Amino acid sequence: MSTLKDGRMAPHESPAAGRRSVGVDVPKSDGEKLVRGRPVFTDDVLPSGCLFAKVLRSPHAHARIVALDASRALADPEVVAVLWHPDVPQIPHTRAGQSHPEPSPWDTTILPTKARFVGDRVAVVAAETLAAAERALELIDVEYEVLPAIHDPAAALDADAPMIHEVPDPRGIAKGGESNLAAMIDVQIGDVDTALAACDHVIERTYVLPRVQASHIEPHVSVSWIDEDDRLVVRTSTQVPFHLRRILARILETSESRIRVIKPRVGGGFGDKQEMVCEDLVAVLTLRTGRPVRLEFTREEELIAARFRHPQTITMTTGVMNDGTLVANRMVVLADTGAYGSHALTVQANTGQKVLPLYPLKHIHYHVDSVYTNNPISGAFRGYGAPQGFFALESQMDEVAAVIGMDPLELRRKNHIRLGDVDPVSARLNEGKEGLARTVNSSSLEECIRRGAEAIGWGATPAPTHPRFKRGLGVGVAMQGSGIAGVDWAAATVKLNEDGSVNLLVGATDIGQGSDTVLSQICAEELGVPYEKIIILSSDTDLTPFDVGAYASSTTYVSGGAVAKAAADLKNQLLTIMAEHWQVNLEDVRFVDGVCMGPRDLSLDMGGVAHTALYTAKVQPAATASHMSDDSPPPFSAQFADVEVDTETGQVFVRRFVSACDFGTVIHPKLAEGQVDGAVAQGLGYALCEEVLVDDEGRVRNPNFLDYKIFTAMDMPLMEVIMLETEEPSGPYGVKAAGEVVINGPAPAVVNAIAAATGVRIRHIPATPERVWRAMHEC
Amino acid sequence: MAFCDFKLHKPESVTEACRLGREFGRTCAYMSGGTELLVDLRSGRKKVAHVIALGGLKELREIRRDGDTLHIGAQATLSEIAEAPLVHEVFPALAEAIVTMAGVQIRNLATMGGNFSCGVPCSDTPPITCAAGGSIVVAGPDGEREVAARDFVLAPRTTVLNPGDIVTAIRIPVQPTTSGASFQRFTMRRGSALAVASVSAWLNVEQGVITAARVVMGAVGPIPLFAENCAASVVGQAPGDSVFADAGALAAAEAQPISDLRGSEQYRRDVVAVLARRALACAAARAEGRTS
Repeated sequence: MSTLKDGRMAPHESPAAGRRSVGVDVPKSDGEKLVRGRPVFTDDVLPSGCLFAKVLRSPHAHARIVALDASRALADPEVVAVLWHPDVPQIPHTRAGQSHPEPSPWDTTILPTKARFVGDRVAVVAAETLAAAERALELIDVEYEVLPAIHDPAAALDADAPMIHEVPDPRGIAKGGESNLAAMIDVQIGDVDTALAACDHVIERTYVLPRVQASHIEPHVSVSWIDEDDRLVVRTSTQVPFHLRRILARILETSESRIRVIKPRVGGGFGDKQEMVCEDLVAVLTLRTGRPVRLEFTREEELIAARFRHPQTITMTTGVMNDGTLVANRMVVLADTGAYGSHALTVQANTGQKVLPLYPLKHIHYHVDSVYTNNPISGAFRGYGAPQGFFALESQMDEVAAVIGMDPLELRRKNHIRLGDVDPVSARLNEGKEGLARTVNSSSLEECIRRGAEAIGWGATPAPTHPRFKRGLGVGVAMQGSGIAGVDWAAATVKLNEDGSVNLLVGATDIGQGSDTVLSQICAEELGVPYEKIIILSSDTDLTPFDVGAYASSTTYVSGGAVAKAAADLKNQLLTIMAEHWQVNLEDVRFVDGVCMGPRDLSLDMGGVAHTALYTAKVQPAATASHMSDDSPPPFSAQFADVEVDTETGQVFVRRFVSACDFGTVIHPKLAEGQVDGAVAQGLGYALCEEVLVDDEGRVRNPNFLDYKIFTAMDMPLMEVIMLETEEPSGPYGVKAAGEVVINGPAPAVVNAIAAATGVRIRHIPATPERVWRAMHEC
Repeated sequence: MAFCDFKLHKPESVTEACRLGREFGRTCAYMSGGTELLVDLRSGRKKVAHVIALGGLKELREIRRDGDTLHIGAQATLSEIAEAPLVHEVFPALAEAIVTMAGVQIRNLATMGGNFSCGVPCSDTPPITCAAGGSIVVAGPDGEREVAARDFVLAPRTTVLNPGDIVTAIRIPVQPTTSGASFQRFTMRRGSALAVASVSAWLNVEQGVITAARVVMGAVGPIPLFAENCAASVVGQAPGDSVFADAGALAAAEAQPISDLRGSEQYRRDVVAVLARRALACAAARAEGRTS
């Protein structure tokens, strides 16, 4: 590995000289209890007397819920409650789980008066057993007034299209909710029309992106109860405990003080658990019955009623000169937000904001129509709009290169953003509004492209393994951000115990990605104590300080900043305590490798310091610090695919996959590599086999893992990960983000490789065997 | 969960299993691994009050040679079959078929008895057994009978089994040294996927001429389909690319695919042509000892 000072590459050892925790593959903080199968997840321990909830879902894509008769269900003594819309507060809100003020439209109530997709909530049941709850669903009689529905996003804005949201309070919906336009963005930088007219070549293509799902192993699950102080406790598999507490307080017409949200171990989130999917339902049932209530989604419910990556149709126009200079880009996006507007604005804002700066042109036009349909609900999913945009951009770069007869890598090298460049987009587009300007202060992108190309053997495609195969190499370059600039913030608390151990309390949510480990490493490094001395707790709204939660690639960069500050503060407190204790000048006291050193031969280890503080000075050394960044430095990646295409069937085999990455300083090499492995698996599924199919009536046709095909271990290629570290000046220890950027490259790398192998350009993914085969037979 | 609302029976003998099946009739289902049954119970496709688990019948797990026949106990797991040296010696194409199926965990549970009894059109061991000229031993309340594999499945999810009948063994004749077989299967991805189409081919080649052929297609018809025209077209011919390519086209015409989530009717036909050509070429090479 190598790293660089001031954002530039320089050879160096790993971990950096003198570091004992940062850069080291320490044991994952929760690894042992997970491997031992200890009861750590939401559903592992249920309160006694817990009721089981099930959701009655709409069989219609669009229908008013006129009447509901639950008497047959309630005749069963095991069925305790059936709630529908008259039974719950009708307070408009969004379930998107974002910071206040929320950028998603408030178009949702806990239980709606109108079902807007097949699978929408109609009623919710609580029963003594899961079987009784399931039986009850069959015994609820509902009268629907079925309405015309829209499933084609292109038809959603037609004058005669049925209105999906006729809310009296259309807060946050584009144009005051007068149409099915949930969100609209139009950003013009420079003058694209004039610039295009002066270009040697103008290439315009349309790309179609599917509806896919994160497919986390642990489904959505929440448990709630009323504690001994009459407070509502919600233990839930979530990425955003603090946002949840705030949203629940408002829609349940209570205050945050009456609610406690606990996040135990979480079995994967990927954005899908940023949404409030179960928590409000268990809460209303607990408040109604006074009993603990548990609700867990089945896999079918996940694939019908959880959240999906927004399907988009992107028309991209690029103007280029004969020498490969890119001049202008127009990107027009039609996005299907589905029945509700969760992340309707911000995902699509991100499609432009994260993607267009990669080639920082003077002339950019970015337009989005994000429309309501009666389809399943789109939302947050790792990458957050960027995978769609990078598919279009990086496919188009290869198409542009082909038109001007240039090597696709050369075209990218000539035009990509560089150290010191100003990103032209961020100032104009952040969370759908004007944002903060961004300059690239760390980048090894050039090196990523060079080293990745070397590793894959660019220019020397290996021979096919069989005469019926054609083989090709492809590339996808990408960037992302590290948190949302000026929005995401976090706090951390550290507290010293008498044996020198440190409680680290964070609102940051470990959802399996390993943030507890990484934050503990930062804390240990800052204090100079062994990693094993850190006792981390995440997250509990009663015990840990605020954090926006795990999303937008923010945790290491933003929450890590809070941890570093709190630990530094604690260290300063200890120096003051020891200076007083030793009766010496403060400037003569310092920590060296976790040992407090004074003048002469005065020294005391951390346990001794703690004892002195607690039993002599009689103070509790503890600190809470907050951290926010006005910057969102981009991590970079250059990813390369080596594929073979079976010319007889259209089947694509990915043989090798190389990811060269700039995540800034890598705190934990193995976990960072794990982020790459997981993102590439999801990215290859997006490229080749994942697609949620919705029929003409709005029903999901493949709500199971037999027919919704994610990439399996057997499908994975040989993987190579190359870390090219930089030192980001704004990040603690020079970190940037690792969670999302590498999900962007696989899909364009694979279709570019398919094109290199066969000459066939797939602009509609996934590139299933049948799609590739048809394309090969058409040309 | 609600789908577990059934009584589980674990008979200790074949006779008892048959008796229970006859007693409960349509209110029961036999379980031979459960990889199909549990899915059907959970989805509600099947509703039964009794499940009769056959996995405990040790005598149905044996894999042995009976003279000129390979005997595979109906309750031997797919993993046990694929790993049995005897299977590799007598009919390696069966092991080849099995290792393409599902994933390790499922193969550790699933059985050929279950594969045949369910009669699912996309299952993989029935077509290759048909190609081998195999047969199925059935025990019932009235005693034992043997049914040719090709006559066993009558329609999708419908077989010759009557209430109280269970499959006890699959019997595959020891193959002549002049023969070879191949199983070719196409799926949307490599791990844990159902066949879009499969083709099993068996050939006997003597002195450079194909003297007998069987070609059986899976997942492209209501039952394992014999591609009779395809097979007939190669008999009397010397193995060769153009012969097999033409035969593949005949198989495609004989297939009866439907369009579904896994592929369109047209695509499946084209895939059958490719698979049949590959299967025939591979079977011929094996028959002539050119490859294993």
